[in-house]
Amino acid sequence: MPKKEVTFRQDLVDKDIILSVDHLKQFFRTGFGANKFVTKAVHDISFDIKKGEVFGLVGESGCGKTTTGRSIIRLYDITSGSVYFKGHRINGGTRWNEKEIKWKTIKANRKIKDLEKQMKDEISESTSELQEENEAVIAKIRDIYTSKINAIKDELAAIVSKQKAIISQIKYDTKHVDKAVMSKMQMIFQDPSDSLDPRMTVEDIIQEGLVIQGFRNRAENSKKVVEVLEKVGLIADYASRYPHEFSGGQRQRIGIARALVMNPELLICDEPISALDVSIRAQVINLLNDLKDELGLTILFIAHDLSVVKYFCDKIAVMYFGELVEMASSEELFKHPLHPYTKSLLSAIPKPDPLSEKNRKRINYNPVQAHDYSEQKPELNEIRPNHFILANDVEMVKYEAEIKHLDKAVKKD
Amino acid sequence: MAKTKKELVLKVEDLAISFHTDNGRVKAVRGVNFELFKGEVLCVVGESGSGKSVTAKTIMGILPGNGRIDSGHIYYEGEDLTKVSEEEFHRVRGKKIGMIFQDPLSSLNPIMKVGKQITEAMIINSDNLKKMYQDLISDKLVKYNNEKALRDRTIEQAKDDVVIAKRVLKKELEKVKLLEGLSKQERAQKAAEAKAQVAVIKAESKKTIEAIKVQTKDNIKLFKQELADRKKTAKAEVKVYHRGLKANRDKKLAPLKAELKTAVGAQKESVKSQIKAVNAEYINTLKITRAEAKRRALKVMEEVGIPQPTRRFKQYPFEFSGGMRQRIVIAIALTQDPDVLICDEPTTALDVTIQAQILELIQRLTVERDLTVMFITHDLGVVANMADRVAVMYAGKIVEIGTSHDIFYDPRHPYTWALLSSIPDVDSEERLEAIPGTPPNMIYPPKGDAFALRSKYAMAIDFKEEPPMFKVSDTHYAATWLLDERAPKAVMPKIVSHRIKNSLKKAGEQDA
Repeated sequence: MPKKEVTFRQDLVDKDIILSVDHLKQFFRTGFGANKFVTKAVHDISFDIKKGEVFGLVGESGCGKTTTGRSIIRLYDITSGSVYFKGHRINGGTRWNEKEIKWKTIKANRKIKDLEKQMKDEISESTSELQEENEAVIAKIRDIYTSKINAIKDELAAIVSKQKAIISQIKYDTKHVDKAVMSKMQMIFQDPSDSLDPRMTVEDIIQEGLVIQGFRNRAENSKKVVEVLEKVGLIADYASRYPHEFSGGQRQRIGIARALVMNPELLICDEPISALDVSIRAQVINLLNDLKDELGLTILFIAHDLSVVKYFCDKIAVMYFGELVEMASSEELFKHPLHPYTKSLLSAIPKPDPLSEKNRKRINYNPVQAHDYSEQKPELNEIRPNHFILANDVEMVKYEAEIKHLDKAVKKD
Repeated sequence: MAKTKKELVLKVEDLAISFHTDNGRVKAVRGVNFELFKGEVLCVVGESGSGKSVTAKTIMGILPGNGRIDSGHIYYEGEDLTKVSEEEFHRVRGKKIGMIFQDPLSSLNPIMKVGKQITEAMIINSDNLKKMYQDLISDKLVKYNNEKALRDRTIEQAKDDVVIAKRVLKKELEKVKLLEGLSKQERAQKAAEAKAQVAVIKAESKKTIEAIKVQTKDNIKLFKQELADRKKTAKAEVKVYHRGLKANRDKKLAPLKAELKTAVGAQKESVKSQIKAVNAEYINTLKITRAEAKRRALKVMEEVGIPQPTRRFKQYPFEFSGGMRQRIVIAIALTQDPDVLICDEPTTALDVTIQAQILELIQRLTVERDLTVMFITHDLGVVANMADRVAVMYAGKIVEIGTSHDIFYDPRHPYTWALLSSIPDVDSEERLEAIPGTPPNMIYPPKGDAFALRSKYAMAIDFKEEPPMFKVSDTHYAATWLLDERAPKAVMPKIVSHRIKNSLKKAGEQDA
């Protein structure tokens, strides 16, 4: 048996895709027995983030955007699907493969049962009075059916062994994730006061990651800390202070510094400005913008404020109840918002402009009324280059017409 | 928006509030003036720590224990709310002025069913006879309580001053000890000086206490007597009224009871139900029963848009989503039918879509119930949506006040410019202009214009003298030296002027 290695996809690296999320599912089970309840927080989402891109993930609270971010950075073990970072599989779930084995086995067994029944029927039908003739016929029928059954069994065995190999590979991958690779992915949390340990000094907080990665030289670490503090607009003196001595904006800067000290390539920002004051928000957005250009960061930006996302992100994905409903470049999304949920989100943003506010009509989104998926289930389709939307064929036609209509309206202006 | 008839509801005059902390007095509000007119929505904007919530809490009379009103008045229905006693405030709080808080989860009791929380206030205030009695004695009670409160407050403040002086003295003495190059005598002299100062303050405080005691003594005695007399007459009056009600009931019941004796079959049943109705009527005039309270609660729940109110009535707060919880909080405020509603960042904890729903709800209620709303927020988008008038607060002061048109399309104060330029909207592309630095420490409020430290428009005078409120138009005032005749012409940031031009153009197109 060859020695196992962590799955590495060269094709992703060639295409400059730094993070690839493939059919990610994240379920949470609560309760046991009769009380068992599975919350499908994230249900089958896929997207790629290219190097240097700022990818925005929007949706209302409870739609699974934070869960997605946390699953990507391995704060959760995912239920199904895979996450590739820099080509390496860093997180994987086996539920789909296990279900595949289960259902395929059940289906195959059912088929075999049917065949056996058919065989018996045929045998009983073709029984004639002559014993010898009988035996020959029966043997012939038996042969035909056993070969059929064997074929099914072989097919099943192939599937099972293939899935088992995949499962064991996923399990191996998730167990042997390269820590050096993982440290290139860092996260900034929503609440800067909750995410900093109140009993550690700023220096300890920032260099904790370095120490874990094996950098034990204190003097060198301190130098790095000072460097990174200056990068985020704080002064070196702050290193010896405790988090409670800082204001909200400064604390968020410390959170950013803690992420930056590891020289990350991908930054996951989980609502980094929601908990901040208005006047501080712009400071943090500007800081992230500068750092992005300076360090060539790729950012996964999770937020519910569409105006900030539009301002900051190159690409936006809209989530609703664990599913991606629309994904496009931010310009395209605002030019051609197609999915009713996207429209409802856009219509809810309050603008600092009383005249247009008085005329703003909020659009309600009710998934039961908006879609008819009784005949065909929706899929994520590409309606324009790099503009994906969750729709079935009937809706695709409708959306196509809508785009043309929107374009016409723009031309008229 | 020009209202034809403006009826003054609430007037805040030169209000100053400070908090006592270990590090010193935090001057949270430093002279706030504004007026609330009937039926309007006044939005108060500003970053955290600017004193907007403190102002609202003072109007509600729920300032924390370490807070103190240093000066100023809040007039509501001719009464000065800063002077009334706690008992007296019960008549106003909730019933006349309602409040909605920021976090609906922490303002609801987690182990109490929602229905009970909504009906709680109604049931507490259910006794109509008691209410009648209270109404009858209220004016005398107010007089008496106010006089007493005046005395108590003055005494307390005088004592407080002594405590602070002593604390300062202690620090001073320690400082003297640490000073170098002083002879023993000099040290003793300095210490004696400091002690003498405290002694002066002590004497002064004693004097004021004596003075106020003498001043209020006669009045308190008089008012107490008056109150006692009024209580007697009021009790008698209520008794008479109650007797009248009883007699009325008995008069109605007597023929029915007689009928009941002779009646048979179906007739008997109908008479019985009639008796029941009469009794129920009598009880309802006496007090709000639980059933009646529930009926009203369900009505209010429906009004604020809670589906299936009968089922929801029996649930606990954790079973509700954020938006629904906020609706419950609004329902609780509405059960008392207030005239003024103070909303303290009611949508900050909610996300955009839910926020839009709650704002729509508040707007609808404002029209339907003819409410006057004071809306506190830091989101300028929300302000644009809600406000008739806007007050911008910074470091405990209102720096600019005007109609929403004034503030958004003709802002004059650098802080308003900074606020407007620091938020991206859907159309903005250029780099945001962040406000540098952090708000000032309010223990030592800066001299002159508080925003000067963070403003690039600051002039020399901004660091020396506080700007007065300059009048821009009849509705629009701003406190900045830039509006002085001698000031150089300042141009607002491009990002703001650009946005204003665009939106005005858009609006013009729509009109045409």
